[in-house]
Amino acid sequence: MVEHDLKIINQLGLHARPAALIAQTAGNYKSTLSLTKDQVRVDAKSIMGVMMLAAEHGSTLHLCAEGPDEKEAAQAIKQLFENKFNEEF
Amino acid sequence: MLVLKGIAASPGVAIGPAVLLPGENFALSRQYIAQNEIPAETQKFQSAVNQTLAELDQCEQKVLGTLGAEYANLMSTHKLILQDPAFHTAILHKIQHEQLSAQAAILFTLQELAASFHKIEDSFFKERRNDLFDVGKRLANNLSGSKDNFLASVQKPSLLVAHNLYPSDTINLREHKILGFCTDVGGKTSHTALLAQSLNIPAVVGLSTASKDVHAGDTLIIDGENGLLVINPDRYTLSNYRQIQRDLKKTEALLKTINHLPVVTQDGHPLKLFVNYDPRTDTKDKKHLVTDGLGLLRTEFIFMGTPVPPSEDEQYNVYVATAKRFDMRPVTIRLADLGADKKPNFPLDEFDQDDNPFMGCRGIRLLLKNPELLHTQLRAIVRTACEVPAQLGIMIPMVTSVEEVRRVRRAFEEVLAEFAAAGKHPVNKIALGAMIEVPSAAIALDGMIGELDFISIGTNDLIQYLMAVDRVNQEVAHLYDPCHPAVARTLNLIIQTAHKRGKTVSICGEIASDTKMLPLLLGLNVDALSVTPRMFLRVKNNIRNSDFEHCSDLAQAALLMGSSDDIRKLFEQNNENENP
Repeated sequence: MVEHDLKIINQLGLHARPAALIAQTAGNYKSTLSLTKDQVRVDAKSIMGVMMLAAEHGSTLHLCAEGPDEKEAAQAIKQLFENKFNEEF
Repeated sequence: MLVLKGIAASPGVAIGPAVLLPGENFALSRQYIAQNEIPAETQKFQSAVNQTLAELDQCEQKVLGTLGAEYANLMSTHKLILQDPAFHTAILHKIQHEQLSAQAAILFTLQELAASFHKIEDSFFKERRNDLFDVGKRLANNLSGSKDNFLASVQKPSLLVAHNLYPSDTINLREHKILGFCTDVGGKTSHTALLAQSLNIPAVVGLSTASKDVHAGDTLIIDGENGLLVINPDRYTLSNYRQIQRDLKKTEALLKTINHLPVVTQDGHPLKLFVNYDPRTDTKDKKHLVTDGLGLLRTEFIFMGTPVPPSEDEQYNVYVATAKRFDMRPVTIRLADLGADKKPNFPLDEFDQDDNPFMGCRGIRLLLKNPELLHTQLRAIVRTACEVPAQLGIMIPMVTSVEEVRRVRRAFEEVLAEFAAAGKHPVNKIALGAMIEVPSAAIALDGMIGELDFISIGTNDLIQYLMAVDRVNQEVAHLYDPCHPAVARTLNLIIQTAHKRGKTVSICGEIASDTKMLPLLLGLNVDALSVTPRMFLRVKNNIRNSDFEHCSDLAQAALLMGSSDDIRKLFEQNNENENP
């Protein structure tokens, strides 16, 4: 199992587009991926689950990946957060 | 007459008769099914999902062609919602285990999901319920086969009043006879509001009771400038708004009539006017603009969101398409300005976490540390110039010294030699220039100008570095000041140094679109401006209304001033005198 704490550094937080990116990216991997915020745990492959976290700028999420490609999957999701979901140029 | 105050969602004024969008039709025709109907009901749900997906695909294509990639993203978000495992599993579970009809299963799942969205306090996230219901409504319609033809049935130009309007409805408004719309719910950040803005339809949202207060056929005024809805206005108000509407139209029409006219001041001083271009948000409207070319193609987007660096082919395709899009007029390609807040997904040399990223390894510093990245991008650009008669310029970002320029020029000449060895030569000479955005490059420009064919000033970063102010940091953002005497003096120094050696200077950055600051730029004798497509005609109009001699006097006065306040007052007063 791979775990990471991820901080949301893009100004707008996890709105529809970043949530879509997360769900899309997570969907590319076989591993089970979950995101947890304030004890609420959701499937990272579900766009609505991710949106429902309502994670705003500055908050921290806990990522959990488990499965055959857990390392790559966790890395890919981590990268999205670090790149601010490619939305601030 | 009744006036309701809402939220201004999209600017403009619309006047006309009201039509009311019929309420949501989620009425259940049947709630439960028999055990032996489960397979058929499951099948029915699956085919409704497929049909909805096909519709969304179609919609996405349509939006891509009219509004650009940014809005097409919204449709792909809707597709993701539709395919969401949580959504699917919940609905199938309800059909197969609770023996609910597909219709009831969708409705109940939507309600459950909406309830959990409703608990969220942040308004931005609450808005997302709309996306959810938009998808749900489409799905339910496809299930029952009832087609929503209301908008198509509107016969004369009207204003639409709705409790709630979904993004997918909004996209189709312009094809129907809808001049403007207002809704009870919604906020400024809703997708519906954003779509209305891009469609140029006046809109007011968040009116609470509009759909109850308005009757079909009432005369309405939708004031998207102030967020007002006027129901059955009196004669005085109506004539007042007609005047406002005429004034707005006049300005807009005037802007359109100057599209084909040359960019020249009243006293005959010519200027080049370019656009900053992003292929991802290109639209039909923008294609109508008559420009001198593309002043700044930011190439970072090609490098973002991919696990490996983009190949020569991928980049070549973007550059050729861009050159064709601009009918072979000049196109300036900025080498990838990666680093700082733009970090690619693929591994790079010397790319550790910087504490101070804007002063860290970004722009040309990063490219020189990763020579294969620079080499591939230069090859893609040179290949473009060999294949099509484009007029290309290469712009180096974040230059601080002549040594960097020399290294890029060497790399560029090596690439030219590679192509020459294969018998290929650029149809037109490729110019090599630099983005001047670091104070050291501005101050020591005389040392590097001989190595450059042109320069462009990136004022956003230049001002940020001159003031040592991070614009994103709210504690200091107010110190970011285009009126600071250092800005005018640095611009003057750059332009004078370049002109002495016969090189042209363009300015790209927000200051180029600022009506108040335009006289300064003109007066300092800049050769070209590059602005966003949205501001293009406005800037052109402002240049055409300017007097170059007068601007020169203003600029000379500003150069002698020692405080931001004095300079700001000078240009504000000038602006008031020119545009009373």
